[in-house]
Amino acid sequence: MLYRIAGQYKTSYTADQALFPVRQDAILLGIILVIAYVVFPLTASEYAFKALLLPVLVYALAALGLNILTGYAGQLSLGTGAFMGVGAYACSKLTTIFPEMNFIVAVLLSGFFSAGIGVVFGIPSLRIKGFYLAIATLAAQFFLVWLFEKWHWLNNYTSSGAIETRNFSMFGYYIAGPLAPTVVKYYLALVVVTLVTWLALNLTRGNLGRIWKATRDMDIAAELIGIRLMWSKLYAFAVSSYIIGVAGALFVFVAGDGAEPNAFDIPLSFTILFIAIIGGLGSVMGNFLGAILIVAIPAMLNDIPPLFNLTLESDVQEYINQILVGAMILFFLIIEPLGLASFWGLIREKLIIWPFPH
Amino acid sequence: MRPITKLIAAAAVTAMAAVPALAEDSIYVPNLSYRTGPFAATGIPLMDGQRDYITMLNERDGGVGGIKIDLEECETGYSTKKGVECYERTKEKATVTQPWSTGITLGVLPKTNTDKIPILAPGYGFSPMANGKVFQWAFNPPASYWDGASMIMQYIAGGKMESLKGKKIALLHLDHPYGKEPIPLFEAMAAKYGFEFLPVPVGLKEMQSQSAQWLQIRRARPDNVIMWGWGAMNSAAIKEAIASGYPMDQFIGVWWSGHDGDLKSEGAAAKGYKSISWSVPVPDAPVMADVKKYVLDKGLSKADPENVNWVFYQRGMVISMILMEAIGEAQKKFGVKNVNAEQVRWGLENLDVTEARLKELGMSGMVPPFKTSCANHTGHSGAWMLEWDGAKFVKVSDLLQADASLIAPLEKTNGDAYAKAHAPWPVNENCKAM
Repeated sequence: MLYRIAGQYKTSYTADQALFPVRQDAILLGIILVIAYVVFPLTASEYAFKALLLPVLVYALAALGLNILTGYAGQLSLGTGAFMGVGAYACSKLTTIFPEMNFIVAVLLSGFFSAGIGVVFGIPSLRIKGFYLAIATLAAQFFLVWLFEKWHWLNNYTSSGAIETRNFSMFGYYIAGPLAPTVVKYYLALVVVTLVTWLALNLTRGNLGRIWKATRDMDIAAELIGIRLMWSKLYAFAVSSYIIGVAGALFVFVAGDGAEPNAFDIPLSFTILFIAIIGGLGSVMGNFLGAILIVAIPAMLNDIPPLFNLTLESDVQEYINQILVGAMILFFLIIEPLGLASFWGLIREKLIIWPFPH
Repeated sequence: MRPITKLIAAAAVTAMAAVPALAEDSIYVPNLSYRTGPFAATGIPLMDGQRDYITMLNERDGGVGGIKIDLEECETGYSTKKGVECYERTKEKATVTQPWSTGITLGVLPKTNTDKIPILAPGYGFSPMANGKVFQWAFNPPASYWDGASMIMQYIAGGKMESLKGKKIALLHLDHPYGKEPIPLFEAMAAKYGFEFLPVPVGLKEMQSQSAQWLQIRRARPDNVIMWGWGAMNSAAIKEAIASGYPMDQFIGVWWSGHDGDLKSEGAAAKGYKSISWSVPVPDAPVMADVKKYVLDKGLSKADPENVNWVFYQRGMVISMILMEAIGEAQKKFGVKNVNAEQVRWGLENLDVTEARLKELGMSGMVPPFKTSCANHTGHSGAWMLEWDGAKFVKVSDLLQADASLIAPLEKTNGDAYAKAHAPWPVNENCKAM
């Protein structure tokens, strides 16, 4: 009844090839964009921005990058944290060497460094698959974090090895760094994420996306029909690492205020991988849902006991949070092993035929 | 009504009927603590000590200056991400930030000028924070890591720094901003006094298995191993040192590596292990009797009563004392009971903890007297060398003082470099130059 798609005729090829051909999907997207661009900036507190919205955006972007590599192209990678680090350090060095460079340009350029490194560490994928490839990318993870610590030129010779964020301004207003208003940083991240998501959506439903899916599903058959596996896999690594690098630069300069090399370690890689898996491999929307579950919900759990006037000890609270998040992940994976995106897909299918059962 | 509806209705009624507790006026002091994670073992006694001292003041005196202190702990697990999250959550009403991690301190430091909440990082944090001209909102009394490094070297040299020439000193440190903090000073001292400095890092993931590091130490045969460890790294290092036969009396830890809990399991085997410390447990101090009376006996403490004479527990109390003194000074200066963050900042900048005041507080001998000022946010109190005698830590030296001639110039240059890297960074021009 609500999601009736019958009667929506397309009368031109352009209309048929629209990103969201079903009107209700488009309306839903419109509502989400209005909430993101208008409602949140007006109503969210600074804490909500810093602890919930910005991390969700950045982690979802990184998961989007990983999803392209693992979900669409089928190349398992555990080096996400390190590639984020490459993006972050590249942005830091670019803005140090070229202080007048526009911050947004620096962020977009730093992705290329990450893409280059990603391609280098993606070369093993031409010979090995699955878990073995995961180990090869794990080598990238360890090596790059070691490099961040030891190569002092990268972190501008600070004693802590951390990236230090200065204030960046554009047209006379601060857009990044401690002096920038949080709302401005939120818009910056939101615009970058929207742009990259739109690009990813189009990329994955186009020719390249189909090549990747063929590589994922049965690479031998793909090779037989003429797909050049080397280019397919290396493109996947390049595009994926570009997005992850941009996410890394945003992670340090916009969502946070600096990061030490340890921040890009294995736990970050696993977090992004879990977001991609729980959100749904091979989907774009799933990354956002997964990020909300893994990043935002644990932070919001801390605010629930005060609603019931319960004060829990901090360590008890922490343990309860971990138990609850684990239980939620288990629950969602049991009811829909393919992830939250396909859970939404199921709900959507039911909504389309509702109120009829079939 | 269907059962489920009844349940929902009952829950709704309970939630609405719960009357919010009448919050009396109090000073909100958040503590970014960790009672979970790999650093919990070392964190818990400190945070217990902090908590119990404040509970004791609330119970005995009704707080500080007639107003209660509301200490709230926010769990960070030593993770910088959760630390920044906790900071953002508590900063609305916070009068101070206690990050309890050099990494979190560095994460919060850039925002201090805009958020205007003072950071209190006693004995940790970024050593150049002593430079109050640059770091107007950051305090690390009573001694900084550079002070500690200098004092340890003085102890090793027995007061005659020329005797260090030709020696080999290894720094076994956590590969984290905390462990890397003293390296600039060690390198400066090595250049000046002619000893060989060997940094031996221990990664966060390899804290529990340091066999590689101790193999390196065994091969290098340094004259002394200085430890800058925390959490699980401490106990693993001490076990490995004993196992590899490194002489314990050549093993000196910084104040965060002198934890009774780590050494208790080794007992007599760890005899001779030393740790520099600006706080000394005094079991029969009058303040301990008060804590026992008002907090422990009343069951208001989370601490194990066996551990109240541990170095860390009493250090936690000293740390709370420093904050309470700052609040008291601010109350007197500004004539208000419920001081805000700016006033607490002033209090921290104008601390004068004298021997007489310590006697009044019942804490004589627990911490050396010190004084902060706008140019000196650390106080540079000096510290004592403690030694493990098999069962507890005992004082084995007189009060050591750091070599300001080496440290002050570094504080100035590093402070200025930080300000430049984070431009525009407001500097307090009214402060007399360091």
